[in-house]
Amino acid sequence: MTEQLDEALAREYEAGFVSDIESRTFEPGLDENIVRRISAMKDEPQWMLDWRLKAFALWKEMPEPDWAHIQYDKMDFQSISYYSAPKSMDERPKSLDEVDPELLRTYEKLGIPLIEQQQLAGIAVDVVFDSVSVVTTFREKLLEQGVIFCPISDAIKEHPELVKKYLGSVVSQKDNFFAALNCAVFTDGSFVYIPKGTRCPMELSTYFRINELNTGQFERTLIIADEGSHVSYLEGCTAPQRDENQLHAAVVELVCLDDAEIKYSTVQNWYPGDENGKGGIYNFVTKRGICHTNAKISWTQVETGSAVTWKYPSCILKGDNSIGEFYSVALTRGAQQADTGTKMIHLGKGTRSTIISKGISAGKSNNTYRGLVHMGKGAKGARNFTQCDSLLIGDQCGAHTFPYVESRNPTAIVEHEATTSKVSDDQMFLCRQRGLDPEKAVSMIVNGFCKEVFKELPMEFAVEAGKLLEISLEGSVG
Amino acid sequence: MSSWLADTITQAQTIDDWLSPKRAQSLALLEATNWPNRKTEAWRYTPVNKIERATFKQTSTLQDIATHIPNLDAIDLVFVDGIFDAAASSKTFPAGLTINQLADGKDHDWALESFKNTKPDRHFFGLINDTLATQGCIIDVANDTAIEQPIRILQSFQQGSQSHTRILMRLGKRSSACVIEQLQGDSLSLNTSFAEYQIADQAKLEHYRLALQCSEAISIGGSHFSLGEKADLDSNLVGFGSQLSRVDIDIIHAGESAHSQLNVIYLLDGKELFDLHSAIEHTKPHGTSEQNVRCIVADHANAIFNGRIHIHRNAQKILAEMNNRNLLMSDDAQINTKPELEIYADDVRCAHGATIAEIDEKAMYYLQSRGISRSEAQVMLSFGFINELVDMMNNQAIAQWLRPILRQRFADMEIR
Repeated sequence: MTEQLDEALAREYEAGFVSDIESRTFEPGLDENIVRRISAMKDEPQWMLDWRLKAFALWKEMPEPDWAHIQYDKMDFQSISYYSAPKSMDERPKSLDEVDPELLRTYEKLGIPLIEQQQLAGIAVDVVFDSVSVVTTFREKLLEQGVIFCPISDAIKEHPELVKKYLGSVVSQKDNFFAALNCAVFTDGSFVYIPKGTRCPMELSTYFRINELNTGQFERTLIIADEGSHVSYLEGCTAPQRDENQLHAAVVELVCLDDAEIKYSTVQNWYPGDENGKGGIYNFVTKRGICHTNAKISWTQVETGSAVTWKYPSCILKGDNSIGEFYSVALTRGAQQADTGTKMIHLGKGTRSTIISKGISAGKSNNTYRGLVHMGKGAKGARNFTQCDSLLIGDQCGAHTFPYVESRNPTAIVEHEATTSKVSDDQMFLCRQRGLDPEKAVSMIVNGFCKEVFKELPMEFAVEAGKLLEISLEGSVG
Repeated sequence: MSSWLADTITQAQTIDDWLSPKRAQSLALLEATNWPNRKTEAWRYTPVNKIERATFKQTSTLQDIATHIPNLDAIDLVFVDGIFDAAASSKTFPAGLTINQLADGKDHDWALESFKNTKPDRHFFGLINDTLATQGCIIDVANDTAIEQPIRILQSFQQGSQSHTRILMRLGKRSSACVIEQLQGDSLSLNTSFAEYQIADQAKLEHYRLALQCSEAISIGGSHFSLGEKADLDSNLVGFGSQLSRVDIDIIHAGESAHSQLNVIYLLDGKELFDLHSAIEHTKPHGTSEQNVRCIVADHANAIFNGRIHIHRNAQKILAEMNNRNLLMSDDAQINTKPELEIYADDVRCAHGATIAEIDEKAMYYLQSRGISRSEAQVMLSFGFINELVDMMNNQAIAQWLRPILRQRFADMEIR
């Protein structure tokens, strides 16, 4: 069994190629001047620069957190380059015809056709390559309905009133070490605004690609769903296969006003490093949403990549009767480490949250669920249900659960369940007895284990997630 | 550094006895450890700065106390304010049982060896206890001996006292015994009381820790167990909380196929705080462990539970369960719970569950509709919530003694 497992784990990382694109890259290093240069590159107004500089000053005073159940060599923030963009992007291409064909080929290889005619109908894509947004499709079509979907650097210039009002309102500049760093040096990301009472006519999606060596990617996403609106947003990401670690420190803020709904799905497939833990992306991400009255935020994530994952998509349930959901599948193998989970902060009356977390560990990896459920004094009649299950494949991996539960209101009900198990012999026997080969059987069992989460994903993503899992588990049981 | 801590360290440096080599290690660690604050994970919800502010004295005179458990025919070891009360203690022991005072434990090589070995290294007040505990007892049960009579270690604390005691127990192979640690005292006092148990192969220990301190006492302590092959531990903890009560229960499955059961009841009222940290370390294969923690919190009280199951690499075929259920009775009370799993072996079955809720209104309505008053209904339902664990107690004298005390406690709790 172990041999077959090793074989499966040695599989190629399919998105590990490097695109040969000439880039304009800042020299490594981080100081106030770099922050000013990033701001200048983006042609930002003064208020944005001031905001960045304030964050940078705060960041310098903050210690790097060490409470997560992960071990990695501390990063040297002076050895990273904080800005890199293809030279062909110097002049923003007006249409796809003007985009460097090599860039387009990169996305074709990744299975993300950018030509609108070739796309699945109903998905608008914003494509971020290193530090810049290359193209945003269906932008005009969306605008017809009042939906703004554009790179955040454009939004800062074109919709300053919205950005000023909401940027940093959910994840403040001093929220945590990596968020503060992001505030200072973020380069691009997506901006979404859905007007009152509008149901976004298509799925919105952002694809992040790191290409350049020794760079960090710091993207920032801000989604505002105005009263009574609805949006479904997808996010995907890959990076080349390299021996060096690269940092990805993103911030995602969701603002969900009264009666609105945001569904945020992620398939995270950054390069995970080789089986000995060499290389791979350090993924330190802050994602949080705030729900006003009757609003709903649903996070779904499938985490299969990254050498180190440090990620806690959270909901602040501020408004009465608001709903937060978190569905997660985290698969670690090789020497990957994941410390991921969610925070559900119940402040309003009748707020509800559901947390379903499925962790699968294989190889020498460690997979940790870390979560907080907080019932504030005002959370009258609030309700939480949490289930986190872990599946271990092989005897060299680890599965851990650290749930914090805090209740300040007697009428709030909190339930937490966790189990840890392996693929049981009984299940295997049943499948094999019905003629399935062992690989198929494991794949089926694992897929069943994750079913509750996959059913929350939009259809195309669910297919992709299922495939990712299947490849990762190839030959894991004999 | 706080003046209290500075005094403690000065005092510790003057102690010169047979445990001094061990104390020196702890003192070095203590000096390198920061005073716990909100950012210290193990003390996240339990503020300990009040210890710095209060003044305590170490007493030398004995007071009379009465904490009688009817029908309990026990071997009594009595400590008042941390001083051994020989007059109130039993003098004769059955064959195979040796009890010595910590103060004159010179010849106990094994005791010196095991002192401070089972407790987690960096427990701040554990280190303080290591350096200051000069009183306590050393209990040794020979191999193949069943001690029928329970051994009760009764500690009581008076106004303004400060005491630090340590119990060391070795239970020989295939032996069995029952130990009751009873702590009492409700006026402002500070005690650290730690016990370390070495349970040899196939031995069986029945254990009770009755921390019925209320209101003002500050009590920090713990019971730490190391289990040999096929050893069996049945531990019961009943706590009432106080201004600050902290208990650490550590159970190390050092041998294969050991079994441990931990049942905990705590009932908090007023402004009481009770902080329980339990850790089950499965270091060898084929072990089983079960934890049941039930807690009722009323008024302004604060209940903290941090339960941890740690399954080490290659400790396969483990079955470990933890169940934490809490009743929150008032708008101002709070519960903070964190059931942790840390697992490094694949062929194991582990589960934990935690719930927090209030008393079921439907059940209350049902009882009230049958003519039972609201307050009586609350007592009945609260009692039902924890009685299951009282029923599981092996020692009937203790269970019988506890039931009316618990009932009274429920009746006293503020109804919302």
